[in-house]
Amino acid sequence: MNYIELLDKKPDLVTPGTSACQGCPAELSLRATLKVLGENTIMCIPPGCMAGAGCVGWNFDSGLKVPVHITLLDNTAAVLTGINEAHGRDVTVAAFAGDGATSDCGFQSLSATAERGENVIYICYDNEGYMNTGFQRSGSTTKGSMTSTTPVGEVGKGKEQQKKDLPLIMAMHNPAYLATLSPSHMSDFVKKMEKAKSIKDGFVYLHIFSPCPTGWGFDGAKSIEVARKAVETNIFPLYEVDHGEYKLTVPNKNPKPVSELFGMMKKFRHVSEQGIQDVQNYVDKKYKTLQALVGQE
Amino acid sequence: MGKTIAITGNTAAALGAALSRPKVIAAYPITPQSSVVEYAASMIADGQLQSSMVQVESEHSAMSVVQGAAMAGARTFTATSAQGLALMYEPYFRMSTLRLPMVMAVAGREMTAPETIWSGHQDTISVRDAGWIQIYVEDNQEALDMIIQGYKLAEDKDVLIPVNICYDGFYISHLYEGVNIPEQSEVDAYLPPYKQEHVILDPEKPMAVDPMTPGNLVMKYRKSHLDAMQRAFAVLDKADKDFGDQFGRYYGGTVEEYKCDDADIVLITMGAMSGTAKAAVDEKRAQGVKVGLLKIRMMRPFPKQQVAKVLADKKAYAVIDKNVVFGWNTGAVYMETQAALNQLGYKIASLPVIGGLGGADISLEHMTNVIEKLEKMNKGDDEQECYWLED
Repeated sequence: MNYIELLDKKPDLVTPGTSACQGCPAELSLRATLKVLGENTIMCIPPGCMAGAGCVGWNFDSGLKVPVHITLLDNTAAVLTGINEAHGRDVTVAAFAGDGATSDCGFQSLSATAERGENVIYICYDNEGYMNTGFQRSGSTTKGSMTSTTPVGEVGKGKEQQKKDLPLIMAMHNPAYLATLSPSHMSDFVKKMEKAKSIKDGFVYLHIFSPCPTGWGFDGAKSIEVARKAVETNIFPLYEVDHGEYKLTVPNKNPKPVSELFGMMKKFRHVSEQGIQDVQNYVDKKYKTLQALVGQE
Repeated sequence: MGKTIAITGNTAAALGAALSRPKVIAAYPITPQSSVVEYAASMIADGQLQSSMVQVESEHSAMSVVQGAAMAGARTFTATSAQGLALMYEPYFRMSTLRLPMVMAVAGREMTAPETIWSGHQDTISVRDAGWIQIYVEDNQEALDMIIQGYKLAEDKDVLIPVNICYDGFYISHLYEGVNIPEQSEVDAYLPPYKQEHVILDPEKPMAVDPMTPGNLVMKYRKSHLDAMQRAFAVLDKADKDFGDQFGRYYGGTVEEYKCDDADIVLITMGAMSGTAKAAVDEKRAQGVKVGLLKIRMMRPFPKQQVAKVLADKKAYAVIDKNVVFGWNTGAVYMETQAALNQLGYKIASLPVIGGLGGADISLEHMTNVIEKLEKMNKGDDEQECYWLED
């Protein structure tokens, strides 16, 4: 079954009636994720957009059609571990967590779970901040971004630090499988999710780029376009690490300048040319690192 | 019958846990609890214990792992002390309020600062209102036995609340005593496998565990939890009786009375200091003083009826607390005893005492000094200034 058939035919395990914002690619990604992972899955979702949208159960109106638990913001990976250790039979144990819960307060628990090689799937949807509570900055927010805790004013010019590179940090934990995914590249997305589901010998980390129309300031109709631009500019390269083998799954021979992505949304509107260049340099260096890991120097 | 061997309190706790057959253990080492983790790991390494043991990176994750395992229906165990308990407070509160039964051993340690690693009750006392049942024990045998009984209590369908078995760091955790180790078959007969029904993460029975909950339901859940706490008294009494019938050791359930029947004055203690208090009672009894000891075994829920029943006709009592209540110049057990007697309409002369903080010694002389102070008090005396057991 190709990915279009799969997304068309497999049952949608997220109920209708969730209250995610218009054009939210995180909800889209969650629905696609569960179509692949299937009914024999236990899902953990920490506080964040997908919990707030009612995917953990809300007023008896919405939720998932698989067992789901809202973990604490900082213990998702540890809870996955416990569920996995307790289950005597073959069950897919997975998390769908935002970048705040993943890169910031949940990182200790995540790092240890990866180090122990627990056979669970940890999925991060990265919308670059605490979007559910009004767009506070996270470690995963891109430099220059205006957020509610890095506001722009006479002195402040948005987030001062570069984005924490979670996928590469997690790759250094030697997981059984790791991949970056984008809702703009669904064939690649589904392939990686299927591979993740098949892994039986260790930890799996998946990182999904998830542009946020509400927080970032762009038209919800353009979510996929923004996600694609992030891939095309190398802001979010698509790759995988399968048992230590690095591979660029969507090679990008002629990357577009990051300024093309910056121009698509309000959160970067104030960023100076120098600010854009800082991010361009960071993205270029990161991509070189990735190419070296892939063996394409 | 089992066999009797000389072991530390930590080994007793680990053996009590192992005999209870937990499916998942997750723990992080901390002084003075570390050898519980080490002993459990060695039993697994030697093939004597069939549990999954997760070597977590923190106590926060230890409690989170066992919460995940408990939601999937497993019997679980962990152990900690002081700073570890403080770090796990967030999932600790959630474990109890999800009504997930388990047993956690706590080798009691003073809270930092000042920087300390030694004995105290401040760690567990500071979290006494996080929804767990808390039981304090006096010696190594009681530590082992109460871990087994703890599962019986926690998993009772009338209770479904996790249980802390609290034993004094070093005074029990590191002290060698003769301990009878029951046969596995006897423990199996007392403690059958647990089948969880109210909360379960299983694809064959999809359930949203702990969805967003509106205030009116939170009110219902809290009331139900508090009601279950009150049912725990009777369940512990039954667990104690059944245990005694099976193993020959009865502990008295929520409290232990020592020479209280004809006593005029009573010492109230909790944990390891109770042994010293019993010796002091014996010494003063030999001098003709009618003194008894009331050992609080269950601190949460607080057995107010049982405490009041013992104290009702007494002239005076003293509570020796190995913890403090900031904001009151006393310890917690004194406050709770006062509240219980006041609510039930008794007015008895009382003396708050604080001692043993951060491993400070509580000597026989301290105990006899307290008894002598009580002797001088008259029925109806107002409470005295807190008496600190200093050098």
